[in-house]
Amino acid sequence: MSAPRPPVFEVRGLERTYGEGTAAVHALRGIDLHIDPGELLVLLGPSGSGKSTLLNILGGLDRPTGGSVRFGDLDLGTADDAALTDYRRHHVGFVFQFYNLIASLTARENVELVTEVADDPMPADEALRLVGLGERLTHFPAQLSGGEQQRVAIARAIAKRPTVLLCDEPTGALDVATGVRVLESLVRINETLGTTTLLITHNADIARIGDRVVRFADGRVRSDEANPTRVAPSELHW
Amino acid sequence: MKPLDRKLWRDLRRLWMQAIAVGLVLGSGIALFVMSTGMYGSLERARDRYYDRSHMADLASALVRAPDRVGRELAALPGLAAVETRVTGIGLISLPEVVEPVSARLVSLPAGRRPTVNDLVLRSGAWPDAQRSDEVLVNEAFAEVHGLRPGDPLDMLLRGKRRVLRISGIASSPEFVFAVAPGDILPEPRRFGVVWMGREALGRALDLDGAFNDVVLRLTPDASARAVSADVDRLLAPHGGRGVYGRDRMLSARYLSDELSQLRTMASVLPPVFLLVAVFLINVTLSRLVATERANIGLLKAFGYRNGVIALHYAEFALVFCALAAVLGLVLGGFVGGYMADIYRAVYRLPVLEFEPGWATWLGALGVALLAAVLGAAVAVARAVSLPPATALSPPAPTHFGRLGAGVERAARRLDARARMLVRRIVRFPRRSATTVAGIAFALALLILSDNFPAVVDRIISINFGVAQRMDVSVTFAERQHERVLRELARLPGVEAVEPLRTAEVILSAGPRRQRDALIGVPEGAWLNRIIGEDERPVQPRADGLTLSEGLAGKLGVGVGDRVRIEATDGRRVAFEVPVVALIKPFIGGAAYMDQRALGRLLREPERIDSAYLRIDPAARDVLAARLKGIPAIVGVTFADNAEASLRQLFDQGTGFFAFMFLSFSLVMAAGVAFSAARVTLGEQERDLATLRVLGFRRSEASWVLLGELGVLLAVAIPIGLVLGFALSQWLMSEFETEIFSFPFVFDPPTYARAVLFVVAAVVAAALWVRRDVDRLDLVSVLKSRE
Ligand SMILES: Nc1ncnc2c1ncn2[C@@H]1O[C@H](COP(=O)(O)OP(=O)(O)O)[C@@H](O)[C@H]1O
Ligand SMILES: [Mg+2]
Repeated sequence: MSAPRPPVFEVRGLERTYGEGTAAVHALRGIDLHIDPGELLVLLGPSGSGKSTLLNILGGLDRPTGGSVRFGDLDLGTADDAALTDYRRHHVGFVFQFYNLIASLTARENVELVTEVADDPMPADEALRLVGLGERLTHFPAQLSGGEQQRVAIARAIAKRPTVLLCDEPTGALDVATGVRVLESLVRINETLGTTTLLITHNADIARIGDRVVRFADGRVRSDEANPTRVAPSELHW
Repeated sequence: MKPLDRKLWRDLRRLWMQAIAVGLVLGSGIALFVMSTGMYGSLERARDRYYDRSHMADLASALVRAPDRVGRELAALPGLAAVETRVTGIGLISLPEVVEPVSARLVSLPAGRRPTVNDLVLRSGAWPDAQRSDEVLVNEAFAEVHGLRPGDPLDMLLRGKRRVLRISGIASSPEFVFAVAPGDILPEPRRFGVVWMGREALGRALDLDGAFNDVVLRLTPDASARAVSADVDRLLAPHGGRGVYGRDRMLSARYLSDELSQLRTMASVLPPVFLLVAVFLINVTLSRLVATERANIGLLKAFGYRNGVIALHYAEFALVFCALAAVLGLVLGGFVGGYMADIYRAVYRLPVLEFEPGWATWLGALGVALLAAVLGAAVAVARAVSLPPATALSPPAPTHFGRLGAGVERAARRLDARARMLVRRIVRFPRRSATTVAGIAFALALLILSDNFPAVVDRIISINFGVAQRMDVSVTFAERQHERVLRELARLPGVEAVEPLRTAEVILSAGPRRQRDALIGVPEGAWLNRIIGEDERPVQPRADGLTLSEGLAGKLGVGVGDRVRIEATDGRRVAFEVPVVALIKPFIGGAAYMDQRALGRLLREPERIDSAYLRIDPAARDVLAARLKGIPAIVGVTFADNAEASLRQLFDQGTGFFAFMFLSFSLVMAAGVAFSAARVTLGEQERDLATLRVLGFRRSEASWVLLGELGVLLAVAIPIGLVLGFALSQWLMSEFETEIFSFPFVFDPPTYARAVLFVVAAVVAAALWVRRDVDRLDLVSVLKSRE
C-alpha cells in the first residue's frame, strides 16, 4: 500500500468567539482535528456545543477568530471571499436541517442549479435516483414532504461530486422512519462515491453509523473515537 | 411591553428603509394635497378678501361723457351700495430706456377722499396731495419693472400735450391685479402701466371738466345685477354709455379667475390621483411585507394568538408607517405651501397672501393617511389571518396555470436554473409581480402627467406664435383709424407687410341670453394674425355670418344656423342680427369672428381698424420702434418676441410653478417606488440568494437573480406606464380648458423619454443600492432559520 493519503481537513487550535469583552461567547475554544478522505465522521454533542460553528467554518461560510483550518493547500481562515466561494462551489456539498431548497425551482431544477456550474457533475436525475427520488422530479418543494425535500437537498449536495459533504442535523426536522431513509442515502453516497462526510447530530444512536465519532461539549472536543463497526441506518431506533 | 409590541418595534427598526420609502411616497401625496388644496384655497381667499376690503367693483361701464349730476342720479338707483364716477383715458409715457411706446391707463382719484369703489392699497410713498395737480400714483408692477420710486418724475404725453408729473406713491388696485393694455390679452408691465391722478387735473387734461366717462359700481348684497345693469344702462344711454359689464368682462378679474380655475383643476384633480397611487403603493408594500411574515403569522396562530390580535399587530404596523408619512407630508406640505405663497404674492400682487390651508385641509390629509393605512393593510392582513396555521408555516405554493404557464414553462426549460428561478418567480406569483409592475407603471405615469403640462404650454405658445400670430409687431391705436393709416405704416422703415384688424366690444344675445364679448374682424386672406382652430389649421371668418367659439356658442345656447343679435357698445352703436355660420375651438383668446370688411359695413363704420400687424426687417427694429414711438395715434406697440416671453413668464410663475411642484413630488414618489420595489424584492429573495451563495455562486451571479427580476418587471412596467401616462395626461388637459386657453392634444416624446429615463435610473440605482446587501448577506443566520 502507498503512504496514507493526506487529510482532507486539518484543524489546529481552532477558536471562534462571538462578540467582545464580557458579552463574548466562545463557541469554539481550541479544536484540533484531522479528517481523512472517505471518512464518515459524526460530530456528536449537546445543543450549543459548537458543532454547527465548526461545520460552517469547514464549509467556508464562516471564519475562525483563532487557530488554523486547512483544506488541502487552502487556508480557510485567511482565504478571501472569492476563494471561499470557489471552494464551496467546487468542493463542498451542504445539507441543512431546514433543507434550504429554492421554492421556485422543481426538485430536478434545484439539483440542476448546482450541476450547471460544477466541473464534473453527475446528471441531476442520477443524483435524485441515488437518494431514491426517481419519480418526483417535477415537483416543487412545497409539494414534497419534509423527508423528500431533505433528500432533494442531499441530491443537490452530491450531484457535483463534492470532495466533502457537510450535513448539519439533516434528520433534525424529520420523523424516525423518514430520518432513516435520509441517513441511508448519505451512507450509500459515502460508500459508493467515497465522499468524505461530516454528519452533525445530537443523537448518540445515530452516531453509530459513522466510522468515527467526535464528541463535543462546550466548544471543545471531549473524545474522538473510531466506531468498531458501522451500523446500517435501518438498524437504528431512536 | 408585551412581546407582540416588542416584535412591532424590532420589525420597524429592521424595516426602516421600507418605512422611509413608504413615507416618501405617501408623504409626497399628502404634501401635495396639503400644498395644492391649501394654496388654491389661500389664493382664492386672498383674492376675495382683497376684493372685499378694497371694494372691488361688481359692475362697470364706460361712456362718452356725462355731467356730474348723472353720477348723483346713479347713486340714487336702488341696489347700489357705492358708485364711483371717474375720468379715464390713455396716456403715453416717455421712458428713455424703452424703445417702443409705453402707455398707461389713467384713472382719476376722487378729490379729498379715497375711492369708495376699487380703492387702492398704497405700497409706498403717499397719496397725491390734493393741492398739487401733478402728483400721481403708479401701479406696483409697472413701477417695479422700471425702477420707479416715489419722488421720481413721470414724463407723459396726454392728448398731444407733454406733462411732467411727479410720482407721490406706488399703489396696487384690485381692478388691476393684472394690467392689460387695450388690444392685448396679456399683462406686460414693461410697456403698460396704470396711473392714478386727481379727478380735477385729469378731467382738465382730457377735456372732461365737471363730467365723467367711466363708472364703477358696487351692488348691495341682495341686488340683482341684471336689474341694476338695466337701470344704469338706461341712465347712461343718452351719454354714450357703452353697456354695463360685470367682473367676467373685467380683464384683470377674468385673468385672475382663469388662473385660479387652473389652479383649482390642478388642486382637485392631481392630488387625488397622486394619493390613489400612494395608497395603492402602500397596499403593495404592506401586503408584500405581510407575505414575508407568513411563517410568523402561522407561528403566532399556532401559539393560540387570536386572529383579531394578529390583525391588530399588523394594522399597527401600517399605522406607524402612515403616521410617519402623515407627519412628513403635513410638515413638507406646510413648508412648501408657505414658500409658494411667497412666490404667488409676488406674481399676483395680492397685498396679503398667507398660506392658510385651513382645518379641512389638515384633517383631510390626516384622513387620507389613515385611509391609506387601513386600505393598505386591510387586504394583506385579512389574507394572512385567514390562512390556517399549517399552511402559513409552509412556504407559499406557486400558482399553477394553464396554457400560458405551460408555454412559459416550455420556454423556461431551455434556460439555465437561475433564469428559470427568475421566470418562475415572476410567472408563478403573478399577483406579486403585477403589483410591482403596477407600482412602477404608476410612478412613470405620474411623472409623465406632471411633466406633460409644461410641454403643453410650450406647444400652445409655439402654435400661437408660430402658426397663429406670425406678425413681428402689433400696433394698437388710441382711437379707431381709417384704413389709410395702413399705407402710412407700410412706408415706415423696415416694414415689409401690413395687415389690419377690427375689434368691437359688443353684446351678443340670443333670446334671453346676453353675453358681452369682443367681435373680431379678420381681413380676407389674413396671414399675419390668423385664427387657428383646434386642428391647428387657420380658419377664415366669413362675411355672411359669425364664426363663434364653442365656449361662447354654448353660453348663448346657439349653434350653426341660429341667429345672434349684436349690439355695438361704441362707435355708431348699431344693432343687427347675423346667423352663426361656423363653430370653432380657438387656441387662445377671442370668441367671435367675422370678415373685417363685412363687419365694418354692419357696424356702419366701414374701412375702420383698431390695430395693425406688421412684418418687419429685423435689422430695422430699433429705427422702427423709435418712429412708432413718435406717432401719437399709436398707444401700443408689441413686439411678438416680447409677447412670447411674457406669456411664458405668466405660465412659469403661475400654473407653471404649481406644475413644477407636482413634478418634484412625482420624482420623489418614483424614487420611493423604485426603492421600495427593490427592497421588497430583496426581502423576498433573501433566502434564495443566501442559498445560492452557500452553494458556491459568486456575488455577481447571485445578484443577477435580483437584478434580473427587477429588470424584467421594469421592462414590463414601462410600456404600461407610458400608456397610462398618456391617458392621464389627455384626461387632465381636458379638465384644464378655460375661456382664454384651450388645450391642444400634445404628445411630446422628450417628456416621455425623460420620465422613462428617470424611472429606469431610479430602479437601477435602487437595485444597485440593495445589491450591496446581497454582498453582506449573513449566510449562517439564514441557514439557521426555517422559512
Ligand atoms: N451569531 C451568533 N452570535 C452569538 N453567538 C452565537 C452565534 N451563533 C452561535 N452562537 C453561540 O455559539 C455557541 C455554539 O453554537 P452552535 O455551533 O450553533 O452549537 P450547536 O450547533 O452545537 O448546537 C452557542 O452557545 C451559540 O449560542
Ligand atoms: Mg447546530
